[in-house]
Amino acid sequence: MKWSIERKLPLFVTVLLLVVAVTQLTIGYGEVRQASRALADKRLPLATKVLADLFQAGQGRARVSALARDPAVLAFLRSGGRTGRDAALAAMHRITLDTATNTGLELRDFSGKLLLRTGRFSIADSVFVSPGKDSARYGPLMRLDTTLFVAIAAAAGEAERAGGIVQQVARMQLSERTRSTLTGLAGGDVRLLLGNAAGDPWTDFATIVPAPPASVLSSRTPVRYERGEAMRASAAPVLGTPWMVVAELPSRVVSAPARAYLLNMAPLALLIVVAGALLAWWGSRRLTKPLVEVTRAAESITSGDLEKRVTISRDDEIGSLARSFNTMADQVARALQTKETMLRSVTETAHDAIIAADGKGLITFWNPGAERMFGYTPAEILGKPLTTLMPQKYADAHRAGFQRYLDTREPRVVGKSVELEARRKDGSEFAIELTLGAAPANGGISFTGVIRDITERKRTAEELRATNAELESFSYSVSHDLRAPLRAIHGFARILLEDHNAKLEPEAQRLLGVIDQNTRRMGQLIDDLLSFSRLGRKELGSIPVDMEELARTVAEEVQRTDAGRTGSLAIQVSSLPPATGDRALLRQVFSNLLQNAAKFTRDRAEARVEVGSHPDGDQAVYFVKDNGAGFDARYADKLFGVFQRLHSTEQFDGTGVGLAIVKRIVQRHGGRVWAEGAIDRGATFYFTLPADEGGR
Amino acid sequence: MEAHGVEILLVEDNANDAELTLRALKQRNLANQVHVCRDGAEAVDFFFDGATPAPKVVLLDLKLPKVDGLEVLQRLKADARTRTIPVVVLTSSREEPDIERAYALGANSYIVKPVDFEAFARAVADVGLYWLLLNHPPQ
Repeated sequence: MKWSIERKLPLFVTVLLLVVAVTQLTIGYGEVRQASRALADKRLPLATKVLADLFQAGQGRARVSALARDPAVLAFLRSGGRTGRDAALAAMHRITLDTATNTGLELRDFSGKLLLRTGRFSIADSVFVSPGKDSARYGPLMRLDTTLFVAIAAAAGEAERAGGIVQQVARMQLSERTRSTLTGLAGGDVRLLLGNAAGDPWTDFATIVPAPPASVLSSRTPVRYERGEAMRASAAPVLGTPWMVVAELPSRVVSAPARAYLLNMAPLALLIVVAGALLAWWGSRRLTKPLVEVTRAAESITSGDLEKRVTISRDDEIGSLARSFNTMADQVARALQTKETMLRSVTETAHDAIIAADGKGLITFWNPGAERMFGYTPAEILGKPLTTLMPQKYADAHRAGFQRYLDTREPRVVGKSVELEARRKDGSEFAIELTLGAAPANGGISFTGVIRDITERKRTAEELRATNAELESFSYSVSHDLRAPLRAIHGFARILLEDHNAKLEPEAQRLLGVIDQNTRRMGQLIDDLLSFSRLGRKELGSIPVDMEELARTVAEEVQRTDAGRTGSLAIQVSSLPPATGDRALLRQVFSNLLQNAAKFTRDRAEARVEVGSHPDGDQAVYFVKDNGAGFDARYADKLFGVFQRLHSTEQFDGTGVGLAIVKRIVQRHGGRVWAEGAIDRGATFYFTLPADEGGR
Repeated sequence: MEAHGVEILLVEDNANDAELTLRALKQRNLANQVHVCRDGAEAVDFFFDGATPAPKVVLLDLKLPKVDGLEVLQRLKADARTRTIPVVVLTSSREEPDIERAYALGANSYIVKPVDFEAFARAVADVGLYWLLLNHPPQ
């Protein structure tokens, strides 16, 4: 029961649910992650674009361009810084006053020499941005300690020699409001960075930060990189400047929804799996419990409790199984009852004793016939050994044979009938015929014996033997006592002829001749009759007989002793199938038939006799055919009777016993004889012998 | 008949058969020293009276009054003094058991008496000639 359905089903369902849940979670997680990343990848470029636009549209350029066109500044610069200094300074002051405090303005000539500076923000000379031709241009971000600043420069005047450069240097800063606006635009966790496309310095608008790797800056699409933690970032150039902006979002923020999905969904999935497993367990219990009940019921019935039924009442397949089971149990019980009734009726009606014994040789069944025969009641004999029923002399042989059968299962008595002696309760012994059967039963073996009291049969057989013996002595008497007077008649008639011939008239001599002839014939009759009667009692041999060889031998003999013939005699023996039987008697059959054939063809000029055969089902038909005197077909059935003759003795001699002997021999071999013929058209004598077991 | 010089002892209850047998022997001049016993008891007495010398051959019928022919045969063959006397069973019976028993008891020949007189005479004469003239018994 290790892998019962009760266990297998819930396990299977649980595994299935787990697989589904895990797959669902994995796919869902992937999907959410994918969506969040796509969202981030959409947000980040947007943020960078907004930021880039913001810087591109900065006011700084407009102011510097405006200053570059200011006449006072132009004049100052054209003068090479020699005249109009105050006017230029005033124009510059307008701008510095206008804007944030930490802005510095410088006027330089084209060689970069500082001509005038204002504002509170001052930087080193080295900071210089080559001005654009037509408008103000931003320079790269620069760093001074913790401050970033940037220069915006514009060329003033049309030609180099007639102008100079206006440059504004300002701290790089965003107002808190702008920053929050930006952050709001890009989303809370987005960090915005600004820096030079060529590298440091970079800022997140709060502090100086290291420049993002080149991979970020050179990519047009969002990429992932490490900065303390995994980041997803998007970069965009700020048009008109050598700067770039980067919007970055920690990967952890990007994948936060996916994690949240997992966190929310996993317990739910677990819940579903557990609930499914429980449901499956309950379902399988509901399925297997009735099955177990049916199984138990079947076991009960097998072990003999035929009344056992199942009590499941359901409308589903299980219910119909239970109903079918009960129906089947009913039918089995009924069939068994019928069988049992029949068996009981048979065993109770049987005149024979029917008993059964188990593998230990103890009696387990005892029918009324056995009670009548042996005198034991069932209560007395059941459980007792079989040897109780045997004379002491058989007990040891029985025990040895019983053990031998149990060891080898080689039947010697089992399956056969044997004649034995048995012992009654009162100790008297009687002759029985025992037929023994063995059959496996309940893992062991059960023996069944049918015992017939053959006392009566033995007595009858004894009587028959006595009768036979009497008959024997009768035929002995016949052979001895009938022949003696015949011999005397014959002998003295001969003596009369020999010694007193001279005194006898011819008629007296003829009469004595008749006596002589008849006594001979009488002697022959007695001999034939005796051999015929002996046939009925003789034990029949049963050996393979070569019928063809036998027929040829007899044919030669008949041909040799054939006398009184004027014509020719041809006996043809064709191939004959072998038979099983008594060789001497079968020889007699051929001998009688061939002698008959020779006898009845004696007056033929060309006598032809043929011995042959043809198969007929499982037996062979042998025949002896002649072209002799034949017989009237109307009397065909009389041919085989004792002393039956269809011809006069004057025509053909014989006693009329030969064919009767043939018939008796063939019948004792289990075959039959018949004849076909017509007067003067020859005769055919047929006999059959079973192909197997010709003898009995 | 004189007991001395008996060469053939014929044990035969049937007078006709005895006469026919004697006639057959006579035809060959073998009838001079034939003694006939009419039943088995007489035959037994003939041998065991202690005086009579043994014949050269015994022709023994089987179906005899008083003592059966087979019993006579048995007693002859059981006794050392008479065991060497040739016994020819001459009977009408051609029953197999008789033939078997006779030979089992030590019969020297078994002749079935033919009904035909010529055949019978020939058989008796041949037997007489054989056992009297041709056979050489132990001394």
